[in-house]
Amino acid sequence: MGKTSKTVQINMDNQRLEVHRGLTILQAAESNGIYIPTLCAHQDLSPFGGCRMCIVEVEGMRGFPTACTTPVEEGMVIRTKTSQVQAERKEILQLILSEHTSSCLVCDEKVECKEFMGTIRKAGVTTGCRYCPNDDQCELQDVVDYLELDEIGYPVYYRGLRVEKEDPFYDRDYNLCILCGRCIRVCQEVRAANTLAFKQRGRFTVIGPAFDRTHMEAGCEFCGACVSVCPTGALSEKARKWEGKPDREQITTCALCGVGCQMRLLIKGEKIIGSLPAQDPVVNSGQLCVKGRFCVTELVNHHRRLRKPQRHQNGTEVELSWNEAIEAAAAELSVCAPKQFGMLISPNCSNEDLYIAQKFARVAMGSPNIDSSTRTFYGHGFSAYLDLFRQSAPLADLEKSSDILCVGLDARFGRSVVGVALRKAMKRGARIVTINPRPHNLALMADIWLKPILGAEAGLLRSLVKMTERKNSTSRTRAKGQGRGLTQDLLTVAEMLKNAHSPAILVGSEFLQHDKSWQIFELVGRLAQNVGARILPLPAQNNLLGSILMGTYPEILPGGFSSADEKKARQFKKSWSVNLAQFSTGWNASALSTGPRLKVLYLIGENLPGFDQLADFTIYQNIYSPDSPTVDALVLPSAAFTEADGTFINGEGRIQRVRKAVNPPGDALPDWEILCRIARKMGKKGFDFSSAGQIHREISRSVMNLGRFHRPKRKPVPLTWQGRVNVSRPKPSGKVKDGKQIPFLLHASSAEHVYRGFLLTAFVEGARQIFPQDMVDINPKDAQKKGISQGDAVVVSCERFQETWTANIVDEQPPRTLHVTLHQSASLGANPHRVKVKKKDV
Amino acid sequence: MKTYRSYCMVCAGTACVSNRSFHIKEALEREIEKQGLQDEIAVVTTGCNGFCAVGPLVVVHPEGIFYQQLREEDIPYVVEEHFLKGRPVKRLMYSPPGEQTPIPKMNDIGFFKQQRLIALRNRGLIDPERIDEYIARDGYFGLAKALKMKPREIIQEIKDSGLRGRGGAGFLTGLKWELTRKAKSNGGKFVLCNADEGDPGAFMDRSIVEADPHSVIEGLIIGAYAIGANQGYIYIRNEYPLALKRLIIALEQARNYGLLGKDILGSGFDFDIKIVRGAGAFVCGEETALMASVEGRLGEPRPRPPFPTEHGIWSKPTNNNNVETWANVPSIIRRGAQWYSQIGTETSKGTKVFSLVGKINNTGLVEVPMGITLREIIYDIGGGIPHEKAFKAVQTGGPSGGCIPAELLDLPVDYESLSEAGSMMGSGGMVVLDEDTCMVDIARYFLSFTQDESCGKCTPCREGTKMMLHLLKKITEGKGTEEDLETLEQLAHEVKETSLCGLGKTAPNPVLTTLRYFRDEYEAHIKEKRCPAHVCRQLNTYRIDPDACTACGLCRKECPEDAISGGKKQPHLIDQQKCVKCGICFDVCKFEAVCID
Ligand SMILES: Cc1cc2nc3c(=O)[nH]c(=O)nc-3n(C[C@H](O)[C@H](O)[C@H](O)COP(=O)(O)O)c2cc1C
Ligand code: SF4
Ligand code: SF4
Ligand code: SF4
Ligand code: SF4
Ligand code: FES
Ligand code: FES
Repeated sequence: MGKTSKTVQINMDNQRLEVHRGLTILQAAESNGIYIPTLCAHQDLSPFGGCRMCIVEVEGMRGFPTACTTPVEEGMVIRTKTSQVQAERKEILQLILSEHTSSCLVCDEKVECKEFMGTIRKAGVTTGCRYCPNDDQCELQDVVDYLELDEIGYPVYYRGLRVEKEDPFYDRDYNLCILCGRCIRVCQEVRAANTLAFKQRGRFTVIGPAFDRTHMEAGCEFCGACVSVCPTGALSEKARKWEGKPDREQITTCALCGVGCQMRLLIKGEKIIGSLPAQDPVVNSGQLCVKGRFCVTELVNHHRRLRKPQRHQNGTEVELSWNEAIEAAAAELSVCAPKQFGMLISPNCSNEDLYIAQKFARVAMGSPNIDSSTRTFYGHGFSAYLDLFRQSAPLADLEKSSDILCVGLDARFGRSVVGVALRKAMKRGARIVTINPRPHNLALMADIWLKPILGAEAGLLRSLVKMTERKNSTSRTRAKGQGRGLTQDLLTVAEMLKNAHSPAILVGSEFLQHDKSWQIFELVGRLAQNVGARILPLPAQNNLLGSILMGTYPEILPGGFSSADEKKARQFKKSWSVNLAQFSTGWNASALSTGPRLKVLYLIGENLPGFDQLADFTIYQNIYSPDSPTVDALVLPSAAFTEADGTFINGEGRIQRVRKAVNPPGDALPDWEILCRIARKMGKKGFDFSSAGQIHREISRSVMNLGRFHRPKRKPVPLTWQGRVNVSRPKPSGKVKDGKQIPFLLHASSAEHVYRGFLLTAFVEGARQIFPQDMVDINPKDAQKKGISQGDAVVVSCERFQETWTANIVDEQPPRTLHVTLHQSASLGANPHRVKVKKKDV
Repeated sequence: MKTYRSYCMVCAGTACVSNRSFHIKEALEREIEKQGLQDEIAVVTTGCNGFCAVGPLVVVHPEGIFYQQLREEDIPYVVEEHFLKGRPVKRLMYSPPGEQTPIPKMNDIGFFKQQRLIALRNRGLIDPERIDEYIARDGYFGLAKALKMKPREIIQEIKDSGLRGRGGAGFLTGLKWELTRKAKSNGGKFVLCNADEGDPGAFMDRSIVEADPHSVIEGLIIGAYAIGANQGYIYIRNEYPLALKRLIIALEQARNYGLLGKDILGSGFDFDIKIVRGAGAFVCGEETALMASVEGRLGEPRPRPPFPTEHGIWSKPTNNNNVETWANVPSIIRRGAQWYSQIGTETSKGTKVFSLVGKINNTGLVEVPMGITLREIIYDIGGGIPHEKAFKAVQTGGPSGGCIPAELLDLPVDYESLSEAGSMMGSGGMVVLDEDTCMVDIARYFLSFTQDESCGKCTPCREGTKMMLHLLKKITEGKGTEEDLETLEQLAHEVKETSLCGLGKTAPNPVLTTLRYFRDEYEAHIKEKRCPAHVCRQLNTYRIDPDACTACGLCRKECPEDAISGGKKQPHLIDQQKCVKCGICFDVCKFEAVCID
């Protein structure tokens, strides 16, 4: 017997070992440093036992049990490397290789080829003739090397399958597939996305979505989990193909949404060649969404990256040295009156950048005019939305939740890690309800889909709030404007939430640009209070909370204090020793086009259309060149999140480190550093920082404790702030005059696949396939009535606007409604809009 | 129940039904009524009698007169002669091949004489759609007895009986029950009846369910009670509509009689059975695949351990037995382990049902005591090989069994002897092969079945059988080398030893046994480029015997390559250069003038 009942004594390769009961032979071997070759086993996946590479001998057991599936038992005597086992393994390996394009593995020139990169092709290249994009990172190669296989004794029959390239982000060459089933298991067990299956049987077995659908059609999230676990080159990332093996890795935080996934950047030389999930138990548990997994490389390596400071003037671009650029900026800024200055900064920037930016505006320029275009993204519901964070809970709490209500959330592409957590909760028995007027990925899995009429979302929530009020148990409240079936569902959901022992509410982005968004978020807050639910708002911007807590809004001071708070204002004035009449003057980003013209507009990570027309002089600081040639601007190259150190605060309030993985391209610098250089040039004090860590320390000392820079706090910081961002209610939605025709209702969402003001689709090939641009969703019946077919140009108009988009026919789109996703700067105002629609005349 | 002077038992097994036995039944009823005999003669439909080759058949009890190959036109005559005049009709009785004198009584016919019925004890004797007839033959007495016993005692009884699984591996049934009983569970246990029967040509299980569904149900209830399961499943293949129908009827009747459901027979024991219809793949019969399929997952095997007795359906302890295994249980409980264990051999107790097919006179289904010799089955019961050909081998155990040669005809049929001979009991298929069979070709044929049915999950089976098949094809086409033979043999061992499930572990058996007993045939194909049985066409040379040729010209017309020349009254000639060895001329010649060298 083992010493405790939790362990067993075994004998492996003549070593006496005490191992945990319940481990497989393979796990026991690995934890004791004994190597057993494997191909289908994977630490995160259930045992499969298909490849048979891990066979061993166990005394008293017939044949050769597989180490990956056989649990250890008391007194087991195991031999992992007898000559017979090794011989059988070699045979099995040869069988695998008999249909695997593997000549490289057993080529006579194998070693020389690697070393000298000679080629048998008579071409003037020294490339070698490696057939597989996974060369050198392939587990099959490892096993071939381990077993010293140098010949395949069987006739070789390649399967000659077509390489599948039609889906975005990764290619599939099943000629290299060894049918280990890892991809299927990860998709089912870890992602719970169930996209993949074994198709056909026996020698015809291939992997793919059932019923011959494309991955796109089968609901694939392009999370890349399958690509990561594939032991061969069968699944290969398009953007990373042929890049070879990385030389190093850097762990960092993804900057593409507020979840804040921990990721491993793969680096070769000075180039990021890939991004993989990091094993982080608190946020993303080893998962990423398509943005983090597949978009980072192309984003940061794009040829439109700015490499040198430039002066743009009337269509000419002159490259400058940093000295020249800093001088030019300082010269313009020194003569700019505080009132004539304005600065916008993206919440994609780090806390350190954000802090310095507001300090630059308030201290160096003595101006209260600092803001972010986030204000337009969130609209008049912004402060109600931010209020939700006061009741917020960490993502890990989903594991404990019994009943989960999702409000306006879609988790197929963005935030798919939350989708994974939801599906895990479901498997565990949690019930899921989703509120969304439109088709979305949770619709299929949720227990109940509350589908309000477009525009009636607030009414539906109000009914829920009423039904869950303690005293009001009559429950007869009829949801206004909703059908009878929905009322029944509402009652069910209300009962469910009332009786739930651990309810949670997830808030997505669907209702942000809604004309009742303010009410909607307030109602969500009340509902949560009624039923005692935790709230998990899932902001689209990675550092939205950082922008609040660093105070990059005119209404908000660092620490989240209201700029109307006299006492705090005095404190800051004193500690920064500035002489500023007022922190809040009423100026904000929306005044850019309507208010008095500015002399200098400073944009950091912001990309507004026609930005150079908004002020006499513009400083445009970003990572990509501007979208259109600018009339008059100073263009400064900054570093992407992969190229600078700093911290973010994710949607849970967790302080997360971003780490520099490579140098920025060309002369580009971190935003804070550019700002500090200009401030110093202007002779301002308080900008003598030489690292992000120093800034971090100043923030912790004078604003709020963010913990140590190199080892940020484990727990989320409390999200309480006094400042409120006031956004006035937008113009009432458009009207139509269309005779007696009932107008269509248009819902326009703001795109969330945005980094530093740019749509990812501008830089990432695959993103264009999953985030359709300027596509308007329409119900098939409506399309038919209007004579519109898929891909037709259609004109959508009302009194205020007329837009031309491409028709996308979607079965589940509610009748007489339209949906489109637009860049926030193209926002049409609050949803829904009453519009008419017609096919564009040719 | 009312009694009659005579009972006409009309076989309504699948084979007889497809030979219009229901029309026979109607005709019988019509004629009997016409003659005013309806109060004296009863017409009953039964399950399969096993002698399907001579169906449709009717047995008249109590005498046991056996009528075969009946047509509707025969019925008025039979009714008039037999029932009115008391003169059984000789011309409709069975005569053994090559003999003239018919054998009137069922139990005198060789096919039936040597059989010993336990699992099939009610075949041909009751209407399977009536529970009362089952009960009248002591049905559910075993259950009543079992419910008064302690579960431990029941398990001991089954252990003492020596009953072993009839579905393949021959695991001791009592031991399996005990393991399942002892396994810990946090949410119930299950019993499962494997009625997937995927072996081509095998229909033992179908026949049991069709002829006597209640015996299986009673077995399951007893097992469930002994094991402590409250839910049972019968997994039956979809291609068995008649068996399925009878099962549904039987379950409904059992529920109405309080034999299923809550508080069975007042014992406080709750149990019910669900039917799951199989998707059809052969590998779904493998128990771990079967259980995955019951759960609605892809029917694919998984490695054991953990064994289903601990980790079965929905990860709960599950006891799976074959149809025939379950059907033996009621008799064992009713008559005792002592009685049962007297039948059979030292290690293999009781009887086994076999389906006898191939080159044999009496094809059909037989239940025989364990230990009977192959010779007795093939010659005494099966009536020997047709057309006086020589017996060459018998393939036992389904497509992945082995071929046992003529030298071993006196081998007793039991688990151990068969596996020592390189074959297995399997579920009870027996394919008899005569001298015209090429053993290389037959190995290729069986392997191509298993290779098609490989689920593809594990490497050795998926790739290894593919490779073996490739080598076998090469050999039958005369392109094989001695090295190929070595590779083939090595691969066969490899696949057998390292495959995940029973399919891969047994698929090489036909190859290994033919290599063991008929290696000379392989060598003839390889070294002499000759197929001794003239089956492998690519190795044949076709020649026209000028003396036998009548110059009819048929072969010339049919030859796809225009390789045959000849004119009117001129013996024809094959141009060997052009001949592609398709063998069409051999097949079409009516005068046996085309010969093979
Ligand atoms: C490929 C394969 C197919 C099988 N098909 C069947 C089948 O059709 N019916 C059956 O009872 N057992 C079949 N078996 C055997 C089962 O796995 C299992 O051993 C059997 O059902 C156990 O019942 P028993 O102990 O009563 O024999 C098959 C096994 C394999 C490997
Ligand atoms: S990318 Fe993700 S969702 Fe798509 S098939 Fe792979 S694991 Fe499944
Ligand atoms: S694609 Fe890769 S992971 Fe999937 S089965 Fe093939 S080799 Fe395994
Ligand atoms: S042995 Fe054959 S049927 Fe069994 S798991 Fe392996 S591939 Fe599938
Ligand atoms: S078919 Fe036969 S008999 Fe007729 S010509 Fe051909 S070989 Fe002669
Ligand atoms: S690693 Fe164990 S069978 Fe594949
Ligand atoms: S079906 Fe009638 S004897 Fe088999």
